[in-house]
Amino acid sequence: MSRRVLLATFSHENDLLNAVAAVRERGIKIVDAYTPYAVHGLERAMGLKHSRLTWVCFICGMVGALGMLAFEHWTAAIAWPINVGGKPWNSLPSDVPVAFEAAVLLAGFGSVFALFAVSRLFPGKSADVIHPNSSDDRFVLVMDESNASFDTASVEAMLKSFDVVETEERILSGAGQS
Amino acid sequence: MNAQNPSLRSLRKKALLLGSVGAILLGVSAFIWPDRAWANMLASAFFLVTIGLGGAVFLALANVCGAGWHVAFRRIPEALTGLLPIGGLLLLATLGAQLSRFTWHHHGTGDPGTFWFKEMWLDSRFFLARAFLFILIWILFSRILVRNSIRQDETGNGDRRINAGISVVFLAIFAVTFSLAGIDWIMALEPMWFSTMWGVYQFSGLMMATLACIVLGSVFLRSAGPMQGIFRDDHLHDLGKLLLGFSCFWMYIWFSQYMLIWYSNIPEETFYFEKRMNTPWLPITIGNLVLNWIIPFFVLLPRPSKRNQGIMVKIAVVVLLGRWVDLSVMIFPVVVGEMPLWGVPEIAAIALLFGLGSLLFLRSFTLGNCVPRNDPFLAESMHYHT
Repeated sequence: MSRRVLLATFSHENDLLNAVAAVRERGIKIVDAYTPYAVHGLERAMGLKHSRLTWVCFICGMVGALGMLAFEHWTAAIAWPINVGGKPWNSLPSDVPVAFEAAVLLAGFGSVFALFAVSRLFPGKSADVIHPNSSDDRFVLVMDESNASFDTASVEAMLKSFDVVETEERILSGAGQS
Repeated sequence: MNAQNPSLRSLRKKALLLGSVGAILLGVSAFIWPDRAWANMLASAFFLVTIGLGGAVFLALANVCGAGWHVAFRRIPEALTGLLPIGGLLLLATLGAQLSRFTWHHHGTGDPGTFWFKEMWLDSRFFLARAFLFILIWILFSRILVRNSIRQDETGNGDRRINAGISVVFLAIFAVTFSLAGIDWIMALEPMWFSTMWGVYQFSGLMMATLACIVLGSVFLRSAGPMQGIFRDDHLHDLGKLLLGFSCFWMYIWFSQYMLIWYSNIPEETFYFEKRMNTPWLPITIGNLVLNWIIPFFVLLPRPSKRNQGIMVKIAVVVLLGRWVDLSVMIFPVVVGEMPLWGVPEIAAIALLFGLGSLLFLRSFTLGNCVPRNDPFLAESMHYHT
């Protein structure tokens, strides 16, 4: 899947923030924005939906805690009961620390691997750099051109008012830039 | 300018009325149920002192971390420290009124568990002098921290390194004195029992109650006017995160104390939980966990609820109620007995606590400007995104 995009490069975060607002007002679809550091308020300006990663984290944590409680109950009270200090087989307090650790472990790993899967990251993947300076001193905004009503000249003229440094048309291929 | 705000003034009157009614009712019930009235008084006074102290701890932590996010609402923890002097006086009066509850060697030496250090430590004069000294140190440090902040409003000078240095010293002293204070004033009600988790358990409760009070105070002052446009949802969000974190910390500490005692199963340790779980206190002990962890944890977990002022206020109330129940479970089974009682003295104590606490908080808040207007981090704090 390939698509035509317009890259606009800025040298200040405020220019990028204002440009994002103006671009969205015109109904142009924003593919993504690349910044050297986390720009406060950018996700709000871009109208990004809240990440669902927190739900993955919560569900993994619950699975870890409840699954480990069930497993401990099975081992300690059903499969192979061992008398520890004269306590009853199904002693909940002794199960809690391990269940807690399992919840933390699964929630942590679950979130990280879910993030990797969603962003299609894996070891050995070659870096997909949109602009050589996007991790240095430039703020890059990527806009979707595939809409028939997209008028490159007028968009570029509008971006001029936000001190755009350069604009560039490009065809993105593959899923890495989505 | 603050002092003229009509809604604050009318609230101060209401708080004064509520506190006075509570004080009178508690005074009357002291003649009918002396034990219950005293237990309620101890819980209320300790509650007041910990919130006041917690305000100073919050300021000190922020100073040490070089934090800037809290500057916009810094006057609220500063106003909380105004609870310390009166709360401390009440606490000293309460301790002094029935000192025999703490001094255990009046049974005569040679009791089981007696040894010279314990007798020296719980000697009445040393006990009272220590309480006085602890409260004095806390008042002194909170005064210095607040004074430096107020002075900055006029002069614009405020060396963050000096404040951070004072705060480091204060936090170190606080860690020791507050652990000992918790042991002295509450754990020593049962002098034969001991727990090395006690100091940190008290600290977790202090932080939770303080954060809940900061949330309540900020939200109230935002709707009443003075903090409008200053206290933002982003500040509320971060306070919510801290509250969630300290709620989990409280549960962690509570369970650590419980599990170690449950596991080793030694009679001189287990009788603490025996008294609170094999008696009609069991539902209250479980309610304590529900109020302090289960409800805050599941409600505060999603992001939108931490940014919602209605939800945050309700959770702050639940947490403060939980703190009261937590203190009740520590104190009442020893002083009052096996049966959890609920009636006039308890309601009177809560009315006194809420009325006096709000009155002192509003009084110290209205003394100065409602924002540290010359703090260099004020702009950053007011444009803060979380």
